Parts: sequence; structure tokens; C-alpha cells
Amino acid sequence: MPRWGMVIDVKRCIACWGCSIACKEEHFLPPNVFWNRVLIGERGKFPSSSKLILPILCNHCSDAACVEACPTGATYIREDGIVAVDDEKCVGCRACLVSCPYQQRTYYDNEVKDREYFPGQGKTELELIGEKLYPFKLGTVIKCNFCTERLEDGMKKGLEPGVDEDASPACVNICPVSARVFGDLDDPNSKINRLIMEHKGKQLRPEFGTEPAVYYID
Amino acid sequence: MSNDNHELIQTMFPPDGSGVKPYEWMINPTRQRQWIDKQGLFLWLAFFFSEIGAGLYFVSLFYEYKLGLVLGWLITLILGGLIHVAYLGNPFRAWRMIMKPNTSELSRGIWIIGIFAALGLLQMVTSGGFNMVFNVIMGILCLLIISHGFATMNVIRALPAWSSTMVLPFSIISGVWVGQQVLQFMLAVSGATALASGMEVWAEIFFFAYFLCLVLYVWGTWHANEIGQASIKMMVSEELKKITLIGVVGLAIVLPLILTLIMWGGDTNAFLIFLRLAAIFAGDLAVRYIIMKSAVYKPLLERN
Repeated sequence: MPRWGMVIDVKRCIACWGCSIACKEEHFLPPNVFWNRVLIGERGKFPSSSKLILPILCNHCSDAACVEACPTGATYIREDGIVAVDDEKCVGCRACLVSCPYQQRTYYDNEVKDREYFPGQGKTELELIGEKLYPFKLGTVIKCNFCTERLEDGMKKGLEPGVDEDASPACVNICPVSARVFGDLDDPNSKINRLIMEHKGKQLRPEFGTEPAVYYID
Repeated sequence: MSNDNHELIQTMFPPDGSGVKPYEWMINPTRQRQWIDKQGLFLWLAFFFSEIGAGLYFVSLFYEYKLGLVLGWLITLILGGLIHVAYLGNPFRAWRMIMKPNTSELSRGIWIIGIFAALGLLQMVTSGGFNMVFNVIMGILCLLIISHGFATMNVIRALPAWSSTMVLPFSIISGVWVGQQVLQFMLAVSGATALASGMEVWAEIFFFAYFLCLVLYVWGTWHANEIGQASIKMMVSEELKKITLIGVVGLAIVLPLILTLIMWGGDTNAFLIFLRLAAIFAGDLAVRYIIMKSAVYKPLLERN
């Protein structure tokens, strides 16, 4: 069984927000809900200042704080390493949300559900279709799932995640500079492992001991 | 700016900060919101009532005061329990929270409250309920319930203000202190003035222990790391300054100190005990509010 992970080359990222938009489109996410963000910061003072770009998403940690905190087992780690939420079991206590050091989860309540992309003008056809095609359960927590549906459908067709677009996460496919690489962390010959080794890939905030499956290289 | 545009911006990026621009998310110390803002206020109240109810039950054990047991049991289960359930997104699935006591502090808390409910009822209805074994078991359960709320917060490594070593001792002292004050007031108004007066020495001890724990909590959090410092700074920021000054300093510390000094040596009366109870009730709520509200996450972008 593979263990899915991602490598993000921060030197390549041009902060186009394509990943954020593709993710929103894939999962029909309501306004202000992001499973993929590109953070922009700056370091130093002019004239020796530099811009910092950091794409972030759920790290699908193998020692996830959210899984530990969940009192019902709704948040769990699948065999393929993806941290998933079973919305039938989620009670909406938000312990996972509070305990995530990366803050990559969203509580889906009426306030989030009722948001409109064009406030005051009602929901667009696309938003209404999205609610039917990709429904979220009220009072539960939602998060990035590494586009599980694409992965599973693609693999059923014999495609390889990380190689074939139809079996890879939307954020990976959309990236115009190929800053994101998806693959099997347990396969020593995979491209993702080669990149981590060659570029000494780093995990985000390793001090929390969560063992993220998302690595950053530069 | 047109009205329509203004409305759009207010909707997309509300002034409370909940809708920060996506590219500015977690680039500064970011406050936790889920367990204190909006519906999260229920959790703040639920922790408080569960803990003071268990505190009252705990102190009542030492005085073998049945009315205290009944009231403590009811506060913990009815007030604390119902408010806990009201906080949940899916309250009808609350029973599922017993599923993971091996890793989840919340789950362990539900088990402890369940055992407390059953054994507490047994202790109240049986004639020999105040025997030593029962008292020790119930005493331990009470201490576990008192520390449950803050223990749930304490295990969250991502929030240094909550993972401070002083959080658990503080929560135990605070639960017992408020519970002791409720019992002292109940005894004073029920005519047991000698007992209420005798309890004053414990009130003095608990007050100073509470004060010491609070000071050590602030000191420890400040010295933990720069994120701990950000939390302490937030406590005295414009947004929380009034609650800190009036609630924490005024009601939790200064007023109880004055009243404790007035009643020093057991010179108590029901009115002064009531005043002190009201002050520490509001003060302890303020302390908990401040601790929950000022917890911040470390930014994801390292800047200098």
C-alpha cells in the first residue's frame, strides 16, 4: 500500500494561486474556505528585504495531532496515509481544529454554508450545483483530502497518481511551474523521494512532532 | 468606495479578523477562535460549571454536607453537561465521544463524568455514603473533572499558552476555591455560622494559592517562548484590557483579597461571603475567558 505525500518547491512557486483556485473548483468550497493557500510574507527591511512565498495545505501527518484529539475516531489516517474525516462520526467538537498547528481545517456551519460568492445576490448556479455534487455535512469539520476521489477513480482505471493527471490532486495538475510533485513516500524510487533526498526536503514546523507528508524544497 | 463594494469587503473580510486575506493566514501569531468565539462561548461556560460543580462536591465531602453534594452533582451534570452538548455541532451524536479514551482527553472526560454521575448518585442515595472508600473515590473523580477542561486544553501542543505547566495546578485550585466559596456561603445562610467561620482559614489558603498559581502561569507563559509572550501581550491588548483589569485584577484578585482581609481570622458574615463569592465567580470566569481568548498559534512563515 502506498503512502501518499507531496513535495513543494518553494523556489519554483510564483504565487499565482492556481492551486487555491483549482482546489476550490474541485471541491466547490464556499467563500473564505481554503484547503490550499499561498502565504505571502516578507523578511528584512528595504533595500535588503525579500519576499517569502509558502504554499500550504493539510500536511496529512503520520503522527497527526488532529487524529489524536478526535474523541470519536471521525478523523483517522487511512492505509494510504491520507488523513480523512468521516462526517457520519464527527460531532463537531472542533478539538481537531484547535489542535492542528497548521490550522488547515474548517468548521462547516450555517454561517459558512450560507456565504455567497456574490453577497446579497443569491447563490449562483455553480454554487447550487456544487452543494449537490459535493455536499458537506453541517456541524462537521472539513479539510483537504489530497483529492481522494480523483486518486481512487484514477487508480481504478489503472492510472498512476502523481504521473497521470486524472489520478493526481487538482493543485498538482494546475501548477504552471510544476512546483508540486505528488507520489508515494514509501517507494524509494519515486520522484518525490528522490527530490526529498536530493534537495534535503524539510517538513513544516517539525518541532510539533507531527511527521507531515508534505515536504518543502528550495 | 460604493456601498455595494463596502458590503462585499465586510462580508469577505469581516473586521473581527475571521476572514483575513488568504495569503495572510497564519503569517502572524494567530488567535484560536473555535473554543471561545461565537458558539465556542458555550465551551467556556461548560468547563467553568463542570469544574465548580465538582469543586463544590469535593469540598462537601470533607464536611459530609449532603446538600452540597446534590448541588455540586447537579451543577456538573445539568449545567456543565447540557452546555457541553449545546456547544457540539451534532449534539445527537454526543454519545460517540466515549469511543477514543486511549488518545482523546475529551473522550476520557466523558468517561469520568459518566462514572462520577453514577457513583455520585449512589453516594447521595445510600445512607452510609460518606464512608472513607467512597469519599476517596469520589474525591479523585472530582479532581479529575475539575482539571478536565484545562487538561483538554493542556494537551494541545500548538498553543503554548495552554500547554504551560501551571495550567493544571491552576485549574484544580480554581475549581476547589470557587466550590469552597459556594459551600461556605451555603453554610453561612443555613445558620451553620460556626462551620462557615471555621472554613475561613481554608478560604485564605485557597485565595493565596489561586493568586500564586495565576502569577506563576503568567510568568511561565511569558518565559516559555515568543508565542507565549504574544499571548500575554494579547491579555493586555486593547481588545482584552478591560476584561483583564476589571475581571481578572479587580474581581478575581483585589476584591477577594480585601474581603479576605476583612474576614481574617474567621470574623465572617453571610453578606461578605456572598460578596466574595460573587466576585470570584465573575473573576474566575474572566480569568478563564482571558486564557482561552489569548491563546495564539505560531505563524507558519518564519520572519525576522
